Amino acid sequence: MTILTPSRILGFGLAGLLAASLGAAPAARTSKHAARGVTCAQCHGKSGKPAAVPFRQCQGCHDPADLAARTAQAKPTNPHENRHYGTQTDCTRCHHEHQASENLCLPCHTRFTFKVP
Amino acid sequence: MSDEPREEGQGPDAYTRQVLEQGLSRRSFLGRAAGGAAAVGLFGMGASPALAAAVKEPKADAFATSTDGGATLTFLPKPKPIRDREISETLTFDVVVVGAGASGVPAALSAAEHGAKVAVVQKAPFALSQGNTGSGIDLAASEKAGVEALVARLIADSNHRCNPKLIRQWAYHSGEAVRWVIDRAKQGGATVVDQGSPAQRAILKVNGYGMGYVTSFFGPKPYTTGDGMRALAKTAEKAGVKFFFQMPAMQLVQGRSGEVQGVIARGHDGKYRKFLAKKGVILATGDYQNNRAMSDYFIPDVKHLERKQLDRTGDGFALAYWAGGVFEPIGHTKMLHDFDAGPASMCDMPFLAVDRKGRRFVNETVEMSLLNNYLKDAENAGHYSQVFDADYMTQAATWPGRLVPPEGLKNYMPDEPGPKKGVFESQVNTHKAGTLEELARKLEVDPATLVATVRRYNEVVASGKDSDFGKPASFLAPILKAPFYGIHRRVRVSAICSGMLVDEHHQALDADGKPIKGLFLVGNLGGGFYGGVDYPLTVFGLSLGRCYTFGYLTGRHVARL
Repeated sequence: MTILTPSRILGFGLAGLLAASLGAAPAARTSKHAARGVTCAQCHGKSGKPAAVPFRQCQGCHDPADLAARTAQAKPTNPHENRHYGTQTDCTRCHHEHQASENLCLPCHTRFTFKVP
Repeated sequence: MSDEPREEGQGPDAYTRQVLEQGLSRRSFLGRAAGGAAAVGLFGMGASPALAAAVKEPKADAFATSTDGGATLTFLPKPKPIRDREISETLTFDVVVVGAGASGVPAALSAAEHGAKVAVVQKAPFALSQGNTGSGIDLAASEKAGVEALVARLIADSNHRCNPKLIRQWAYHSGEAVRWVIDRAKQGGATVVDQGSPAQRAILKVNGYGMGYVTSFFGPKPYTTGDGMRALAKTAEKAGVKFFFQMPAMQLVQGRSGEVQGVIARGHDGKYRKFLAKKGVILATGDYQNNRAMSDYFIPDVKHLERKQLDRTGDGFALAYWAGGVFEPIGHTKMLHDFDAGPASMCDMPFLAVDRKGRRFVNETVEMSLLNNYLKDAENAGHYSQVFDADYMTQAATWPGRLVPPEGLKNYMPDEPGPKKGVFESQVNTHKAGTLEELARKLEVDPATLVATVRRYNEVVASGKDSDFGKPASFLAPILKAPFYGIHRRVRVSAICSGMLVDEHHQALDADGKPIKGLFLVGNLGGGFYGGVDYPLTVFGLSLGRCYTFGYLTGRHVARL
């Protein structure tokens, strides 16, 4: 089975340019994005009250179709192109930044044992 | 043949009267809250002060707690209306359909074919549906007495709690509607056939009267009605229907007298769009199985049972409720199946069945579709296994159902290499083993318990009488000879099929039993078609057949307004 590693997931276009241009991220919380220089406000908005991150926000940097193409050969199936959402699965259904990620497939498809970064 | 209404007395029928009296509407809720004593009965001791406060200042936590205190209807507080200045765009249609599924897509196409300008707003990125079979009655091939006998059977299946008018409406219009869906889906490129009467072997005669059926089949798996509805949506687009995907409906637009004038939906870009509907809004948003609060409240039976669907959050229930609609009373109908772990044709065969531990738990003549009632605790959570031995082809040859020989069973075995056909590969769960202990491990039951269960079962079989559960002697076959077989099934919630009160035009009724102008409810959101503890399997494909039929009829009705 192909394991989806963090480098494969994150390596597809988290804009280095964006990260470089926007100063240091706060270190208060663990975040792969923060480690790459993405600020809280870039995902959560500037209101001071961190809002849930809408799918479109992820898509500002990550192209779902591109991601689906990169994981096309994943076994037993491509999690990024599926019968439920096509390529439009909201990233945050599986991938979490500040807590453990989860495998949305698993409760129903018990053999889809992806490791979710 | 027609279902022309018989002579009826003044006022609503018995079904409607009961839902008005015991169902849940905004008005009845507020009224009961103020009533104190009634509120205690409905929402739990000590709840009424909080409820009274909630009337003025709605707080999600304070609203509508169930009798055991565990379930809260967080959807109840009506949200603040989205203001006009928050709307990025306003579009005007004759008919706006919310939800592109087995009822919504037919409703939209049917309305368009009858001259309406139609929009469909859909939360998901495309049309969605589940299952393969959708059925109707072929009136030309049926005796009228047979149609009425089947209506009576379906009413009994629903423990006499359904609205007979709606059953009769399905009976007399489903053949036409299902044929229409087949034809139009084919135009969109669907793989669909009419399996006709042979697919309904058990009901070719009802009470001795002859019957014929139209049985649409989108398949075989993994092709489903979801693919079928996407094809039907193509036909609808050609007919002028405009689809708006990733566009969840947030609120209804209501006029001063409560009439529904349109829908406000939120686009993928986060912006609100207003869809005005000159003739009516048809909600076809499906059930609420993924809304934990709503499920725990209306159907606590499924608390520990797994869900088959995603995102069925009861959006239309909330919208219709806020608009004054009435929920059917607590005690909703559920549909739990597993046709995928092993052959569907063997699911009701009365082999030894063991629970998740490995214990026998039932007289196995109970159908798979009802076994959830024995397995609804957290430990079992719908899991059980059918167990049989190497001689099953001869020992069970005369049992109801259809046996699949060992070679064919491989298609359902995850441990067998090679591609599988006609199944959901990720759901197959049939196993073969040289010993009972090995089989137990594959079935994820306790080996020692399974061995003891089989030993006891074999004693019962040898005695010729099932002194443990009373199963007929003709269904007693020993489990002695390797290889041993097991099918690990887990029944999960396919659908919850109770809904909100509608009349024969599928128009929502308010707490006074008056139609809410401009608001129509179809599919699993529409109430009155079921009422039993479980969805009945008398007519294979009744659920999709009803969705198609009521979508088809309602689209046409609203277009003609």
